[in-house]
This record gives sequence, structure tokens and C-alpha cells, in this order.
Amino acid sequence: MAGAALLAAAAALPFWLNRTQPYFLQLALNVLIVAVLALSWDLLARTGQLSLAHAAFFGLGAYTSALLTTRAGVPVVAGIVLGGLMATAVAAALGVLTLRLRGIYFAIATLAFSETLRVITKQLRFTGGSAGLVTPPLLPANLPAQYLVILGILLLAALTSELVNRSRWHFAFTAIRTNEEVAAVMGIDVVRFKVLAFAISAFFAGLTGAFYAHVFLFINPFEAYSLAISVGALVAPIFGGLYTTIGPLLGAVALRIGEETLRAALGSGFLIIYGLILAAVILYMPRGLLGLWTAAAARRHAGERGVTAPVSGNGQA
Amino acid sequence: MSLLVLEDLMKAFGGLQAVGGLSLNVHAGEIFAMIGPNGAGKSTTFNLISGLFAPDHGRIVFDGKDITGAKPHERAHSGIGRTFQLMQPFHDMSVLENVMVGELFGHVVPKTLEAARRDAESVCALTGIDHLADRDVTGLGVADLKRLEVARALATHPRLLLLDEVMAGLTPTEARQAVASIRRVRDSGVTVLLIDHVMGSVRDLADRVAVLNFGKKIAEGSFEEVAHDPGVIEAYLGEEADGEIKPGG
Repeated sequence: MAGAALLAAAAALPFWLNRTQPYFLQLALNVLIVAVLALSWDLLARTGQLSLAHAAFFGLGAYTSALLTTRAGVPVVAGIVLGGLMATAVAAALGVLTLRLRGIYFAIATLAFSETLRVITKQLRFTGGSAGLVTPPLLPANLPAQYLVILGILLLAALTSELVNRSRWHFAFTAIRTNEEVAAVMGIDVVRFKVLAFAISAFFAGLTGAFYAHVFLFINPFEAYSLAISVGALVAPIFGGLYTTIGPLLGAVALRIGEETLRAALGSGFLIIYGLILAAVILYMPRGLLGLWTAAAARRHAGERGVTAPVSGNGQA
Repeated sequence: MSLLVLEDLMKAFGGLQAVGGLSLNVHAGEIFAMIGPNGAGKSTTFNLISGLFAPDHGRIVFDGKDITGAKPHERAHSGIGRTFQLMQPFHDMSVLENVMVGELFGHVVPKTLEAARRDAESVCALTGIDHLADRDVTGLGVADLKRLEVARALATHPRLLLLDEVMAGLTPTEARQAVASIRRVRDSGVTVLLIDHVMGSVRDLADRVAVLNFGKKIAEGSFEEVAHDPGVIEAYLGEEADGEIKPGG
């Protein structure tokens, strides 16, 4: 119910923002890009694989589509889909290689992979080198339509995330995240689920990267494979609430809007305050923004059942 | 008929020969106990049987099929279930959800979530943790965590159940309950291979006992037979001065 209303509001947003405040529509589009990346990162994290390589899949998607459309004459929409599929294929291969790595070692391996791709892209003449590539536009000069496309991609990612969380996959992912060996002896094909999660996660990151390439009309290795993208993808779920659909979305919206507000209010020093807020949330709210909500709901629920909660003195209702 | 056959299994970690040429036959329908001092290779043997370790040498045959190279989840599907000595519940899941994992993934044929939930509820009832089903696993006591370990293993519907020290740390009353519940599991048609240090329970439960020391089998037979074996007495007295084996209990 609330989700449908929210979706309707999100879909209606461009039609009045575009006329009154095009800057805000651009911001909303950026928020959605971060939101897809955040959900994509979270899907992988549910299996205990903490990636620092989301820029790799974002960049792979962007470059695949940019090269196919400029050098092979592939239509833009097909290029974007192929960009997502390329990221999927590469992730599946990388997933098999990194299977045995856990925690920080996995993160370092993915970071190395991402940096390697950037260096290769920078060196090759074929990819435009460090000068980058100019790309053909998707839905030229129609910001509202572009916004609706990324909203659709986000919807697809959110649906995938919900399907995963309501199916047997949720049990496999959670079990693998907690203890791979126990998961395996209880009959879970750990390799299969880890590689599947990697492939699905990379698909959305690649799709978003390809979309980005044809909306911003220019890509270079420093932006497409930037650490800022990888970090942005992981900060939003941690901030909003891990392993859920709502958490990463909430985190992306709150962080991007918070960042813009701070930038406007404080100017160049805003990143210091931004960093402090992030650190405080990670330290004191391990379940993110969503954790605040569920804790409040639990207290309300306890109050309704007449259980005397030590937190409140008066309310009995 | 032998359900599980271990043939000359060997496993070394660096210079340490944890299991050094172990052969064992576990018959269908029996309760078989592996005992031995700490470091005798019992838990390593469990890890070899469940597929978490690959042996350096030797063969593992389950129900007539060579499973030496099979992956852990394939062994679970073929009917081998196990518990862990150090309880390893899945955090972020309730007790019932922990058991549901076994119901969902312990079989080759997939189950729906509803069917898995229903079946997990009856496994919880069987193991005496149904009153905890909706609880978070954090904060459970030792006895309940041990029951959860057994419940999760049973939820994979094993034909062979490996129990790794499920009596350790239990009070005498809880241990008696555990003995009764393991008997019920066996009577329902499950073959049981267990490791334990609680000799009273082993004596009450086991049809046959193998004694391991330094990765080798030094005796096999009924509890009374192995308890009077001079080699066994020496292994235990050499290891622990109080002599854990007391046939009187």
C-alpha cells in the first residue's frame, strides 16, 4: 500500500519538478542511480561477500555499452542491456575465482579487480584511453523520461530483492553469510548461491553504469571506475539498514539528499561533517535507519500488549 | 549391512597426522560410538565423512556408493547429517528458521516454504525446542543450543546422523533426556555415529564402540570389551590421570 503510493509519487515527480526545478530532478535521478547500486551491493552482501568492486561492474556496463553503440552501431537500449549482461558474465567468472576468500580478503580482491580494469581501460586506445569516450544519448534532452527509465531499473532491482528475501534463497544467503561450512553440510550448494548472488548483483550495477553512460554522454576511466562509486554503493545499505529492500533505498535517499543539503549549507568543508555523521551512524546504529524504525515499532507493540517496557513511564495504551 | 565404510583414511595437517589409516564399518540401524582422548582424530574423522575435509588417502563409501570426492551438500542430499561440537547456530535467524534451512536444502527435491515451516515445527517438537521456535538464537542456553544442533541435523532427514559431543556440558538430567531422544531417533530408522566423552551415556547408548588414539583405531567392540582392553586403559591413563573410562559409570 505505502509502497504503491510512494511509487506513484516517485513516478509523478518529474512532471512537476521538470518545469519548476530541473536541478532537483537531476538530483532525484542521481539518487536513483545510487539506490540501484546500493540494492545491488546489498544483494551480494547477503551472502557475506563484501564487495569493493561495484565500480568495476558499473564501469564494465558503461564501457560495454559505450563501445558497442559507438564502434559497432548497436542501438542504445540494446547496448544498455548488453552492458548489464557483460557485467553479469564477468562477475560469474570473478565469483568462481574469489569463492574461497572471505571478509576483508574478498573486499581487497574485488578492489584490486576494479583498479586493474581502470588501468587497462586507461591504457587501451580502443577504449579511448584516459581521454574517455563520448556516447550517444538515451532519450535525448528528455530528463523526465530518463528519470523514468532509471526508476524502472530500480523497481526491477527492488522486486528482485523482495523475491530473494521471500524465497528459499533468503535462507541460503543468510546461512552462507553466517557460516559457510554449516550451510554446506545442511545441503546448501554454497558455490552456486555465492556465484548467483554475484551475477545478479553485477547485472544491476552494469545496467546502471550503462544507463549513466548514455545520460551523462561522456565517460572516462577515472569516473566510471572510481572508488567513490564503490564506496557509495556500500555506505547506503549500511546507513539505511543491511539485508533489506527498504534499507538501501532509505540510505541512498537520506545520504544523497543529506550530502547536497550539507554542501549547500557549509560549502567546501561539508565532507567533514558528512563523514562525522556517517561514522556516528555506523558506530551507534548497527542496524541503520531501518533499525530505529523497527526498534520503535517493537516498543509500540510491547506497549499495546500491556507489557511494561522499562523505557516509558506513563503510556499504557 | 554396512551403511558407512571408512577405508584406510588418512589426513595430515602440516606435520601432524590427525587421522592415520582409519578403517571403520558402521552398520545400518546401529548406534556406533567413537571415543578417545582429545586430539585422537575424532572430529577430523567427522569432517572427512561430512566432506569439509578431503582425505589425503583412503575411501569413504556410503550406502554402497563411493563419496570420497563428493561435496558437503551432495553428502547431505545423499543422507548424511551432522552436528558441530561448538554450536554454530545461524544468527539473524529464529530457532525455527534455523531448522527450516535443513528442511529446505537437505533434500534433492525442493520443498515450499510452507511445507518446510510445517516440517521444521514437527522437528522442533520432536527435539523439545518447540516452545523456543520464534526466539532469536542469541541468548539460548547450552542445552537448548545442543538440541537446536540436533534439530537442524534431523531436519535434513539423514539416514546417518553424526553427533559431535552433544552430551558435553549437559546436566545429568539433560544427558538422560538426550540419551532417550537419541534412542528414539535410532528407533525411527536413523543410523547414529557419535563422538562423546560422557562415558555413562556412551555405555547406555552404543551398540558398538571404537577407540581412537593418535588417529588410529586401537580397539573396537562392545563398551564392556573396549573398557577392559589393556591398550585402551593405557591410552586413557597415559592421557588423563583420573582414568575417564569407568565401566561402573
